[in-house]
Amino acid sequence: MSASEPSPGPLTALDLCGGVRADRRDFIRLAAWGGAGLAVGHFGARTLWAQGPSRQPVYAMILVDYNRCTGCRTCEAACAQFNHPVTVDGEEQRGLGNPSLSNIRVHAFNPDADVPVVCVMCRDNPCVAACPVEPDAEGRRALYRDPVLLTVRNDPSRCIACGACAEACRAHRVGAIIPNRETNRPERMCTLCGGDPQCVALCPYGALSYIKGGLDGRHYALPPERIAAELIARWYGPAQGGDVR
Amino acid sequence: MSRLPGYWGSVLEVDLSTGRTGRREIPAADYEQFIGGRGLGMKLLWDLLPEPGVDPLGPDNPLLFMPGPFAGFPLPSASRTCVVTKSPITAPVASPHRHASTVSYSNMGGFIGPEIRFAGYDGILVRGRAAAPVYLYVDDDRVEIRDAGRFWGMGTDAFDRAFTEALGDRRFRTCYIGPAGENVVPYASVINTAARAAGRAGTGCVMGAKNLKAVAVRGSRQPDVAAHKRFLEALDKARAGFRGTPSTENWRRYGTGSALVASSDNGTQAVRNFREGTFEHIERIGGLAARRAVWQRDFACYACPLACKKAGRVADGPYPGLVHDGPEYETGTMLGANLLIGDLGGVQRAIWHADDLGLDIISVGGVIGFLMEAYERGCIDRDALDGLDLAWGGVDATVELLHRIAHREGVGDDAARGVRHLAGRMGHETAKFAIHSKGHGFAAWNVHVQPGYGVSYATSNRGACHLNGFTPDRQNGTALVDSVGVCLFARGGYAAGLVEQVLESISGRGWVDADYAAAGERVFNLEKCFNYREGFRRSDDSIPDRFFEEPLTVGPRKGAVVARDAWDRMMAEYYAKRDWDPATTRPADARLQALGLEFARVKLPA
Repeated sequence: MSASEPSPGPLTALDLCGGVRADRRDFIRLAAWGGAGLAVGHFGARTLWAQGPSRQPVYAMILVDYNRCTGCRTCEAACAQFNHPVTVDGEEQRGLGNPSLSNIRVHAFNPDADVPVVCVMCRDNPCVAACPVEPDAEGRRALYRDPVLLTVRNDPSRCIACGACAEACRAHRVGAIIPNRETNRPERMCTLCGGDPQCVALCPYGALSYIKGGLDGRHYALPPERIAAELIARWYGPAQGGDVR
Repeated sequence: MSRLPGYWGSVLEVDLSTGRTGRREIPAADYEQFIGGRGLGMKLLWDLLPEPGVDPLGPDNPLLFMPGPFAGFPLPSASRTCVVTKSPITAPVASPHRHASTVSYSNMGGFIGPEIRFAGYDGILVRGRAAAPVYLYVDDDRVEIRDAGRFWGMGTDAFDRAFTEALGDRRFRTCYIGPAGENVVPYASVINTAARAAGRAGTGCVMGAKNLKAVAVRGSRQPDVAAHKRFLEALDKARAGFRGTPSTENWRRYGTGSALVASSDNGTQAVRNFREGTFEHIERIGGLAARRAVWQRDFACYACPLACKKAGRVADGPYPGLVHDGPEYETGTMLGANLLIGDLGGVQRAIWHADDLGLDIISVGGVIGFLMEAYERGCIDRDALDGLDLAWGGVDATVELLHRIAHREGVGDDAARGVRHLAGRMGHETAKFAIHSKGHGFAAWNVHVQPGYGVSYATSNRGACHLNGFTPDRQNGTALVDSVGVCLFARGGYAAGLVEQVLESISGRGWVDADYAAAGERVFNLEKCFNYREGFRRSDDSIPDRFFEEPLTVGPRKGAVVARDAWDRMMAEYYAKRDWDPATTRPADARLQALGLEFARVKLPA
């Protein structure tokens, strides 16, 4: 069999949030950022953002194309491998990829829809705003934005393990931050792997993109349940289910 | 006892009769000899059943959920979970043991195998029988047997949703039975994610007999490996081996569905209850048609780059709005071509009902095909079918019969016992077209054109099996792959020697080629010893007369038939290669000793 059917275009939070017209020419995909500079992916060339020559930090995030994701969870393992390295014979090595340590987490639904959830780098960061720890001299709370990558980070020496950040993310955004089962300190904030996200690099299906830009100053956060409901309606029609005799 | 790296060193043991839970230690030598999955499950089954003739439906029959040593690592396509037990559907022609049956094993993809390993176990062993419906809850070390009364009777699709809701976290991975398993239909399946199945050999029946509706597992840990750097190198190699290959692309686009049309064109498909090998309407239900009209999305098992699972919806026709997987090669053939159903929506409808009821689609497609043929020939009339008009191609009658089988109503109760039982009740030479070996129905690959499939069916240790392989070498290789837990569809993606390399880096145990190959032969022969002890002999390794007496009448391979003398030669060659006695099929003593199976040899009747 060799007929080639047209493959559907990308379907991402940018479409589902309604903030941007569903015209996929509207943003840039940076699958190889950090290596050869800005790589334009299958989304086309127009950009939503303008990165000046100023070396100012730029908001960046992992964007999921739900039309490509198959729910294989390779991203989870890749994330855990990079962000939880181990020392073997005095040498730091990638870990074995325990997915329960991953910052990106795939939620599976029935009818079939898989929704990877990862920090979407909200510009207005309600998680940071919810941190009750007094800002230090540099204006940092225990939870703060990394000055270079703008990722959300936690300072465990100042964190009081109140869980307010995780609650803010859960209540208002995607629920990416999860408190540690024992310490209650926030975990699962995306690190962007220092600028070369491994989930993007290793996704066998090209479902993850590394994009950066202003994104109109909006955030593109929806809880996985709402994304799943939207995907299921799109893929399987308004009324789905089994059958009666 | 020293623990082998890469393994936890124990399986979770649960006794549903007493409510006791704990760990059962596995000797390092058992891992070295039987690896995991199907092989280690077989070793445990052997240890747990020291005598033949144990009632498969009784509390003494163990039920094992066995991932392999690759599970729990992000290795491509290595997440299979083999369910191992004593078969509730097979039986020998003659045996001194009342409940004699073969081993049963069936593996499923998905996510539960890795999760069992994440929870800290190399497998789950379920013994006994619960007094009332229960499910097993495993959250790392927290193990509970919980009431499942409110779920009993639910179809697998609705149950999948309700159970996830009740567990409160999508990180739990589950598998379960439908009404067919609850009602102890011998060919009931174990289902996960409402579509993936350990379908064959009656695993779901044994689960139902134990009053076990479901298993839920969540884990936070991970096994270690013996040689970290070498493991990572092998992992990178394995990942790269799948990238961008034509095979990967084909799996993603069509899954096994690509074989529907190809097999029909080659005359190798099960059509009209295996009477023919070619189906005139195959293109209506084949991969291209399904890709166009039904399949919406491709899904993958844990860390798998192939995404052969196709989820779709039926948009129009008589059954609009239906959302389900399929057709795959097996499901599309057994509930399509084999029943002369050439309507894609109808095939999807039958597949949904069979999965929802938790019936093995291969077996039940064979049963319904047999009944359709018997009805056409007048061996059974409409009264005996409780009013069902079981004409070829009937979707409504097929769906109705699926329900009667799962609920064991009227003719469904007989049909639930399989084609051999039905033929026994009907007589009239119906045995000639009762398509089974050892009581287990054939799968969707027909025999006339490829007698090798006949060998595969006749010599498989779980009763008829299409995955078994045509030759001893191939069969041993399959047993190995099933023990490691790699998907059969992915075995070509691992370069030669790479599986051994990964296994070596995980366990630290060195394998030389011959040693590794022997592990597969060891597993296969231990299964054989189990069957031999139960009373299976040469006459049980048979295929129905249809394939010798009725040449194909349609299609490009019209006229194809299996010649008896050629068949006899193939089987003789098979036993010679196996070093099994051609008259009795008893494995030679020296062979068993060489394979380290002396413990089994001493239990065999002379």
